[in-house]
Amino acid sequence: MTQTLKLASIAGLLPCLFVGSAAAHHSFAAAYDTSPEGAITIEGTIVNVRLTNPHSFFFLDVEDENGEVVRWSFEAGTPSGMLRNGYSPEVIKEGDVVTISGFRAHDHSKPNGMLRELVTADGTVYGMFGPREGPGAR
Amino acid sequence: MSAVRRKRTTGLAAACIALAVAGSAAAQDGGEVPRMANGKPDLSGVWWGGGDVGGPGFRVGGPGRGEGPPPATFTGLYQPWAAEHAATLSDKDDPTLQCVSTAFGTLNVRMYDVGAVAQIVATPDLVVLLSETFHGYQLVPTDGRDHPPLPPARRGHAVGHWDGDTFVVEVENFTDDTWIWAEGRVSFHSDALRVVERYQRVDADTLVVDATVYDPEVLTEPWVVPTQTLEIAPFDMLFPLDCSGVETQELMDAAAELEE
Repeated sequence: MTQTLKLASIAGLLPCLFVGSAAAHHSFAAAYDTSPEGAITIEGTIVNVRLTNPHSFFFLDVEDENGEVVRWSFEAGTPSGMLRNGYSPEVIKEGDVVTISGFRAHDHSKPNGMLRELVTADGTVYGMFGPREGPGAR
Repeated sequence: MSAVRRKRTTGLAAACIALAVAGSAAAQDGGEVPRMANGKPDLSGVWWGGGDVGGPGFRVGGPGRGEGPPPATFTGLYQPWAAEHAATLSDKDDPTLQCVSTAFGTLNVRMYDVGAVAQIVATPDLVVLLSETFHGYQLVPTDGRDHPPLPPARRGHAVGHWDGDTFVVEVENFTDDTWIWAEGRVSFHSDALRVVERYQRVDADTLVVDATVYDPEVLTEPWVVPTQTLEIAPFDMLFPLDCSGVETQELMDAAAELEE
């Protein structure tokens, strides 16, 4: 399965991006570089989705520019919120290829990030707290 | 976290909270209050602020927040020494990063603990408060017994009684290793912490919660928590979800080292 690593600078972020932080269980800004310099977009293959409190994690294998496979983790919203907003454990599974946009850890050398948006192969878009479309859309 | 970044984040969060609560006054026309066999209001149900985190209907705080002067906060009432000590702490010191509960509640609702939803199971002699994120529970006997002679606990020990149709809960005997809130909001307290809450089910769909927090060792005066108006949720059980995720603590520690 082809995996590529793509980095992108995302400017002009919505000011209220941090609504998630205000309502989250810890400060995302303390762990992640939410400045434009920290923005990242990655395509990879899901190896695990961990729906545990206080926040969910998406783990994926990503091939870097040297051909090495690196396991990244992206932290998302509280799982209870995601589930009540319409997310299901069945929708994103091991082996799925996804594209995740978000922010790197403050230490840019670490393969960790905060999830802002996840797009599945069929184009379905999920946000930090679940589906972007449907009854629970946010 | 640098002072500049903290100030920027706090200001932005405050603005967004104000937007989130705008127009969120809860209606109180939800029908007759259900009652238990002893005639007292039955507080049973899952309660929230109208939605879960990040979802439609979610709101932070009680009616009136975001209007007029900001209400007092626990940390705003710190004694000078406590304020100085708080300045030495930051997000990475937040006990909830290790799946440890708060002493009060993230959204100023104690029974939420961390999260935005809680459940009450009430009987005439015992009321059980259930929180979701850390699988927390608190037993509140209403049979007249005194606080139990037990070691201190992170959520304290509670007893309750009825004042007319208002359920009064008195909580004490806390440990001092938790914070009042989560989200990296430095809010340590002492083991002299004591909380008195008043729960009123004003109609079938609405629960009004008032609380006063006492901690004479760190506060200059008791903290009167802004009134919280909760709605009955459209489901009848909390989710059994485990807590993990200490990776974030490691990232925060690494970020702190970068700043040093």
